[in-house]
Amino acid sequence: MSNKLEGFSTSASTFNADLDFAFWLHIWLSVGLFLSVVVPMIYFAWKYNANKVKNEDIGKVTHNTTLEILWTLIPVAIMMLFFYYGNTTMKMFRTMPAEAQSLVINVEGSKWKWKYTYPANASGHVHEVGGVYKKPVMNDDGSIKEHGTMGISALYVPKDTNIILKMTAPLSDVLHSYYIPAFRTKQDVVPGRETTLWFNANRVGSYDVECAEYCGADHAYMYSKVVVMEKADYEAWYNSNKGDTPKGDFPKDGKSLYASNGCASCHSIDSDTILVGPGLKGIGAKYDSEYLANALTNPDKDVPEGFYPGIMPTFKFSDEDLKNIVKYMETGK
Amino acid sequence: MSKTYFDETHCAIGHPKSTFMQWMLTVDHKRIGLMYAAVMFTFFFVAVFTALLMRFELFAPGQQFIDGPTFNQAFTLHGVIMIFLFIIPGIPAIFGNIVMPLMIGAKDVSFPRLNWATFWLYILGCCVALASLFIGEGVADTGWTFYAPYSLNTDTNVIMALTAAFILGFASILTGLNFLVTIHRLRAPGMTFFKMPLFVWGIYATAWIQLLATPVIGITLILAVMEKYFGIGIFDPSKGGDPVLFQHLFWIYSHPAVYLMILPAFGIMSEIIPTFSRKEIFGYRTIALSSASIAGIGYLVWGHHLYTSGMSDVAKSVFSFLTFFVAIPTGVKFYDWIATMYQGKIVLSTPMIWGLGTIITFAIGGITGITITMIGVDIHLQDTYYSVAHFHYAILGGVVFLMFAGMHYWFPLITGKMYKETHAKAAFYIQFVGFNLLWFPMFIAGWYGMPRRYFDYLPEFQIYHQVSFYGALIFVSGLIYMFWTFYRGWTKGEPSGTNPWNATTLEWHMPSSPPPLENHSKVPYVDFNPYEYHHGEPVVKFNYETMQRID
Repeated sequence: MSNKLEGFSTSASTFNADLDFAFWLHIWLSVGLFLSVVVPMIYFAWKYNANKVKNEDIGKVTHNTTLEILWTLIPVAIMMLFFYYGNTTMKMFRTMPAEAQSLVINVEGSKWKWKYTYPANASGHVHEVGGVYKKPVMNDDGSIKEHGTMGISALYVPKDTNIILKMTAPLSDVLHSYYIPAFRTKQDVVPGRETTLWFNANRVGSYDVECAEYCGADHAYMYSKVVVMEKADYEAWYNSNKGDTPKGDFPKDGKSLYASNGCASCHSIDSDTILVGPGLKGIGAKYDSEYLANALTNPDKDVPEGFYPGIMPTFKFSDEDLKNIVKYMETGK
Repeated sequence: MSKTYFDETHCAIGHPKSTFMQWMLTVDHKRIGLMYAAVMFTFFFVAVFTALLMRFELFAPGQQFIDGPTFNQAFTLHGVIMIFLFIIPGIPAIFGNIVMPLMIGAKDVSFPRLNWATFWLYILGCCVALASLFIGEGVADTGWTFYAPYSLNTDTNVIMALTAAFILGFASILTGLNFLVTIHRLRAPGMTFFKMPLFVWGIYATAWIQLLATPVIGITLILAVMEKYFGIGIFDPSKGGDPVLFQHLFWIYSHPAVYLMILPAFGIMSEIIPTFSRKEIFGYRTIALSSASIAGIGYLVWGHHLYTSGMSDVAKSVFSFLTFFVAIPTGVKFYDWIATMYQGKIVLSTPMIWGLGTIITFAIGGITGITITMIGVDIHLQDTYYSVAHFHYAILGGVVFLMFAGMHYWFPLITGKMYKETHAKAAFYIQFVGFNLLWFPMFIAGWYGMPRRYFDYLPEFQIYHQVSFYGALIFVSGLIYMFWTFYRGWTKGEPSGTNPWNATTLEWHMPSSPPPLENHSKVPYVDFNPYEYHHGEPVVKFNYETMQRID
């Protein structure tokens, strides 16, 4: 088993080389600074050990102007070098490419999932991809029975293209941070603000995305993936109007949609238990399909007694998906 | 035998007969310091075991012992206790109280009753923090940073945690005020600022930070409470507020606060190094003034916590540039300490070993702090285990290790007894090994992208968590061993005499060991530098009855 995330060491983006150079330059110079303190310390502790030194031989040096100037100015010079590389790498991360030459994707982070909205394609279709991470399933002895998976949620991007992410969170949500370790970049996602992040990936592959700003119960499961594809593959998907995501064979039945959109963390499907919102057992008998569909796409409009508007996020589904998920809510299948 | 401060005391109110009430009402700075130590180390162990619980959960990926929300409460409890109850007040409240007045030849702090009241204010803060464990939805799950808007939305007991931090902040301000006045007004005649021991300089710089920076956190916490109760809409984006503003306000205090932690710790190092090198300290003035300049620059660097939060690039550059200038005076101190050892006569007693060990761990903590001062690199490492490891190397491997060094150094002064050095040294080596095993793997995990505050993680990171776990076990056993050694030393140790380390500063020139109620018999006249040695022996000698020099 490899000890690092997939793609971490493969120069997966245009950032990697410069950032890694700045980091390792810093580390090696710092090792030098570290040794300049620790080596004399150990040497003196050995050389001037009490059982080797006669009282008369103890020195009296309390100043040495040359040395003092040196050990101030040399570190200042090194610090300025670090500042320079810190600053230029920051410029690299933070100088956004022109939007005209980039693919701009809207990202919404909310507890505890990422959602990506693409610009409309030639035929006006808007791809929306996103969902929650499927948590690992545990055996009784604490070992993992089934690893967690990302399901259908991933950010699909073409290779060698500037990608700009315009990120925000719903006003009622909390801070998140979009972190792609393989690309060495992250940016906080702030409710009510738009923050941006850009990258240009130059290797086809699938790279983990983690939420790096603490956001509550499932902070540790707020994963996503960036899937980098050949341009042709990407274009083929982007210009198609199917809801299917380009990689993998992801089920689109109601049960999977219910799981991947995170419904289960607030609504129990097979009981009356109130998690955050009401349990859905027997909901099909109480309400018609139209009410249930509205409850997903416009949840604040008609809230059942005892619950409040503003808690449940608004969901957008394709007509087919909406039909499937409503059917699942009604029948449990 | 003459009476020591354990036998008699002055009280804030009346003259109680019972020993218990005498301790509760005591205004003696030494007794108050000891009581702080007792309370703080109790909390310290609570926080250590909370951390151990987290390490158990993190041993393997998936959920084994505790679920996500419990883990979140655990790291919040760990952080709040360690930061607000232990490490911020720590060295000033314990050694600032016990040792600083002795070092400047004072009979007590300037306002002994205020000192007593401050202690009980601190206890009140602790009680409120403890109560938040059991009241309502349980202890806050926000992390010790209380970032908005999460802290505004969560159901857990954030209000009580904020209130506790507010009360503890007040205790901190009053301690700082008391020490500032004491250092300005109660130095023995002849003791100019540049004749003060360097620990007093550390406490002095810290006291200014306590006094000037703490009100900012007070304001911030009040705003957060008002936001939560009345929805005033300063931080809450759903009401038009700005959550990033909270981060600015929070770090305007909390960054100076880390210097507030480290400066008195550096002071302890500056006492130990010359004493166990039997030699005057190298560059006294630069060490003293570097403390002051760290305290000064420390106010202007808070923004380096916000490189990825949403702030202009110009602001990032300025904060980064200024932050590098904290590294310079810190580095100068290190070189001064090493230069002090040059041509000395180095006695590797337990306090010195702790001191030298800390030079290694704090150097790593400091240097890795420089890593994340580089903005671009921090964009990758922010909120990963790299920051966690850096912080613990600096604070545990710096402040707490030096606090332990100080405990070994002043133990004979405080108790009049000596612990067994063989046990104490063994405990050091165990902790040193455990510490590095515990934290170093986190640098690697952080560089590879392991985010902090995750109760479950991707299987790729398992090996680092496992090494950390074994390191944690070793470290905690060393910790328990050390306290057991102290306990044995206090109950069964040999009497230490008044100056077991051949030290020069005034706290070692006491008429009795442990010191009597009002410290020195007479106020000494200070016409000497704090670390004067000649041929390995302290130059200045006193008749402890009259406090006249007899050298």
